[in-house]
Parts: sequence; structure tokens; C-alpha cells
Amino acid sequence: MSAGGSRGGFLLDRLVTATALLLGVTLISFTLTVHFGPDPTWEQLGRNPTPEQIEQVRQALGQDRGFLPRYADFLLRLARLDLGHALASGEPVVDLLARAIPVSLLLLAPGFLIGIVLALALAMVAAWRPRGFVDRLCTIVSATGMSLSLVIIVIALQAVFAVWLDWFPARGWRVHDLASYLRHVTVPSLGLIVAGLGYNLRFFRSVFRNVLHDPPVRTARAYGFGDGRIAIRYVLRAAAPPILTRILVAVPLIVISGSLIIEKHFGIPGIGMVTWNAMMSGDQPVMMAVVSLSSVLFVLALSVTDLLTGLLDPKVRGA
Amino acid sequence: MTAPVTLRRRLAGLDRLPVALMAVFLAAAAGVWCGLWGTDWSTISGTLREPPSPEHWLGTNRLGQDILERLLAGTATAFEVGLLVAVASVALGAALGGLAGFHAGRRIDTLLTWVIGTIDAIPFYLFVAAIAFAMRGWPGAMQLAMILSFWTLTARLVRTESMRLREREFIAAARASGSTNRRILLRHILPNLAPLLLVQASLAFVAAVKAEVVLSFLGIGLQDSISWGIMIAEASQEILAGHFTNFIAASLALFVLVLSINSLSDGLQERLDPRVRRTPTERLA
Repeated sequence: MSAGGSRGGFLLDRLVTATALLLGVTLISFTLTVHFGPDPTWEQLGRNPTPEQIEQVRQALGQDRGFLPRYADFLLRLARLDLGHALASGEPVVDLLARAIPVSLLLLAPGFLIGIVLALALAMVAAWRPRGFVDRLCTIVSATGMSLSLVIIVIALQAVFAVWLDWFPARGWRVHDLASYLRHVTVPSLGLIVAGLGYNLRFFRSVFRNVLHDPPVRTARAYGFGDGRIAIRYVLRAAAPPILTRILVAVPLIVISGSLIIEKHFGIPGIGMVTWNAMMSGDQPVMMAVVSLSSVLFVLALSVTDLLTGLLDPKVRGA
Repeated sequence: MTAPVTLRRRLAGLDRLPVALMAVFLAAAAGVWCGLWGTDWSTISGTLREPPSPEHWLGTNRLGQDILERLLAGTATAFEVGLLVAVASVALGAALGGLAGFHAGRRIDTLLTWVIGTIDAIPFYLFVAAIAFAMRGWPGAMQLAMILSFWTLTARLVRTESMRLREREFIAAARASGSTNRRILLRHILPNLAPLLLVQASLAFVAAVKAEVVLSFLGIGLQDSISWGIMIAEASQEILAGHFTNFIAASLALFVLVLSINSLSDGLQERLDPRVRRTPTERLA
């Protein structure tokens, strides 16, 4: 804003915004999971502690300090990825996460990616011929998809494909080769595709509709370029910024709600399961790590996208 | 022209079917509030997992509780959660968004924009989980978490809109004729925002009802109560044994309610935004 369009000013501006957001999300994570979280003092004490014993343990743990020193300490530990040990298993939280995250990625990536590609393709056809067959179909699919919950979709798919038809395992994650991976990943992926299709179709279609009216696309059509060439070289390219931003914003919602719901329901040991267990048992170090790390990662991803679109498009930079 | 007239006119032509469906849901919820039905949702009868019968229209669950009673009581819960979250989050969003937009560029605006950005950067389900964690079993934790995270969308829109309105001639005219800030806000800015707030409230209502299902399924939703989410969570255990009534009843209720509100708010949005051309297919969306 004050930078007046200069590149250095723009970078500085975005850096300040990103730092402020990082401070914001860590402050909220700290307040909710550490400050208001269970006081670790009591776990170190025996029965009927004397006031002196309580004071001693509080001092040893640093609980007697004020809010700000404890927050600063929390930031330092977060930056060093010194996340402590899980209360339930005594295992370092970093190891726990390192084991669970790849499982969740394997579980969610296929459904998420196929869902987006499918939605892009369908939305393109729908936007190309408004009120055509595909467009009508997409309208019904998106109205239905938006009114269902991932919970309902997952339970229904499990009932149909794993119980009634008995084609896939109903629960668990016993993956050792490609075939067993495909058997376990199919039903969850179908769920993610169906759940994401509703909102994505609608959004992508309206973006494509707008872009199809843009002068470059109209010119390309007037030149008689082939449909495929126009769709990919012009429409998809012009529509890329809002679509990429949209996908990025959808990632935490889909990945986190998806991994929580799917992993809990199918009993899959990914990050959602780890989070759910921590939530249920009050495992403070794990909660703190999951909440603060995912918020920090999201802020970083948003800032990088913002920076890239800004550097590529001078109009955004000036704004 | 004053706002209530335009708003009423905008509401007049809405599609009949979703309005009728909403009326059915509201009647079901109102009956529960008046104590006409849905009060026996926790009563345990002798027969477990009974198929539909004249006594239990939708049958009973694994504890022998009447599924129709639970469905009706759940409808009331959906409206309680949805209305509370919709009204509170839109009111908070309108107040803070209006404050930021009215003082655009000043320190209070920077502060509020930062707060909005921060809340939006925390993944919703983790935010709810963290609040439930911090509150440890306080029954309002879920609703509070929803309000605290849903208001930001309204605030962003209201901020932009009030920045735009601030520059318009009729505000300048009102100011020139000696209106106070308060009068300008209440008589000129708020009526212009009313349709937008109504759409936001309907979106927040849907989001709250849907989030309740997910959160109750995960076990961090409502406690000691009955809701569609609790019914679905219950059903997820029964479905492997081939009992579908509980699941189908709650899912269908959620689906029809959300579909109706979505189509109403779409109709409303089309009327608000002349750029959205009204085509027969788009009305379904």
C-alpha cells in the first residue's frame, strides 16, 4: 500500500504481513493449548502436595513466569521443533508426527488430486455450453454435493462398497504393496472426491464462465482456434490465479477434516488419528504441536502464493 | 426508498418448494419447543432395533429409543445451534467489519484485519478442537468456537462494503444535512447491508448445522443432548450390522434442510447481484 509499486517495498510489505500473521496464529495456539491447557504441574506431584512442593515444581517447569516469557519460550521451542513428548506414549512428538504424516498423505492425496482434476474438466465442459447436458448434470451434482457432509458420504460408501458389495476392506490400513494400498485407499478417495465435487464444480464453473467472456479468449475463438487449445492455453491459464488460491485455501480444510473423519472412521493411523486421540485423552504436547504447526504451515503457504502472484502480476503489487 | 420495502420485495419471489420445506422443518422444531413431540427422545422402550411399526413410526435404535422422536428433537437442536451461531457470528462480523471499514486505513482497521487474517489461518476443525480442549467439557464450547471462526467472512465483506458506501453521495448528503455518525450507520449504512447480512446468516446457519454433524461424529460436539450428528455417530456403529434407519433418517433430514437453505440463499444472492444472470438451471444450484 505505502510501497507505491516498488518491488522492494512490496516484499517488505508482505514480509511484515506474514510475520504478523505468524505471531497471531502462534499466539492463539499458545493461549488455547498451553495457557488454558492442563497444568503439567499436577502430573509431577504426588498426593496431597504441600504448597512448597507445588511452588518448587512450578518453578522447575517455568509455570510461575508471566504470559509473555512463557509465550517467547514456546516460540523458541516451536522454531527448534522441540515439541516435547506425548503424554500417552512418552514418545517424542516429532517422531509421532513423522510416522503419521506420510500415512495421511498417501491416504488423502489421490482423492484430493483426482477430485480437483475431475471438477476442472467437468466445470470446463459445463461453462463451455451453458444449459447443455453436462451443465445440467453439474448443477444437480453440485447442489447435492454441497448439501451432504463428508461424514455421511464416508459412512454410506463404506456401507455400500465394503459391507454390502464387500469389494474393499471395511476398516484398517494394512498396506505393504501397491495392491493392498489400492484396496485400502479406494473408498476414502471416493469419499473425498464426492465431498469436494459440489463446491469445486460450482466455483470452477463460475470462474471459467467469467474468463470465457474475456477479450483474449473471445479473440482466440474468433480466430477459429481449436477448442482444446483455447481451453488449455487461454481459459485455464487466465483462470489459474483464483483456482490456485482456492485450492490452497481448501487444503487445510479438506486435509484436516478429511483425515480426522476418514482416519477415525476407518481406523487409519495417520495425523487425524493422532490428533483425535490427543483431543480425547487431553494430550497437551500433541495438541499444541498439531494446532501450531498446521497453522504456521498454512500461513507460510499463503504468503508464498501471495508473493508469487504479486511478483507475476504488477496489478496486484500496486494494490 | 427505505430498506425494509426493497428487502421484502426481494424476498417475495423466492421459490416455493424450499420455503415450504423450511416451514415443515420449522414446524417440527416449534413442536419440540412447545413440548408437543420430540420430548421422549431418551426414553428406553423394551424392543431394541425394532423395524418401523405403528408405535414407533421409524423403528427404534440399539437402545430401544424411538428414532422419530430423536429425529424431531434433533431438528430443534439443529435450529438452536444454527440460529445462535448465524445470528451471533453475523452480528459480530457486521459490528467489527463495519468498525474496520468506517475507520479504513487507521490503526483499529489494521488491528481488526490482522485478527481476521489470523483466525482464517487456523484450520477450522483444529480451532474447534483447541477451544474444546481449553474449555474442557464446557457445553457451549462448540457453539463458541463456531461463532469465533465464522464471523470473519461477514466482517471481510462488511468492511469492503462499508468502505464503498462511505464514498457514496447519499452518505455525504446525510452528513452535510447534519446527521450524526450513529444516525448514518443505522439509517443509511445498515439498511444497505441488510440483504448481504441475510445471505451471510443463511450461509453461517448451513455451516453450523453441517459442522455440528462432523463435530458430534468426532465426539467434540454436543454433550448430553440429541442431534442429527449424534444420531449419525450412533448409526456409524450400527451400519456394519445392517441397521440403516437411524442413518438414513438423520442424513436425509440434514440433506433436505441444507438443500432448501442453499437454494433460498442462492435465490437471494441472485436478486442482490444483478450481474448474476438468472437461468433456469442456475436456480437449482
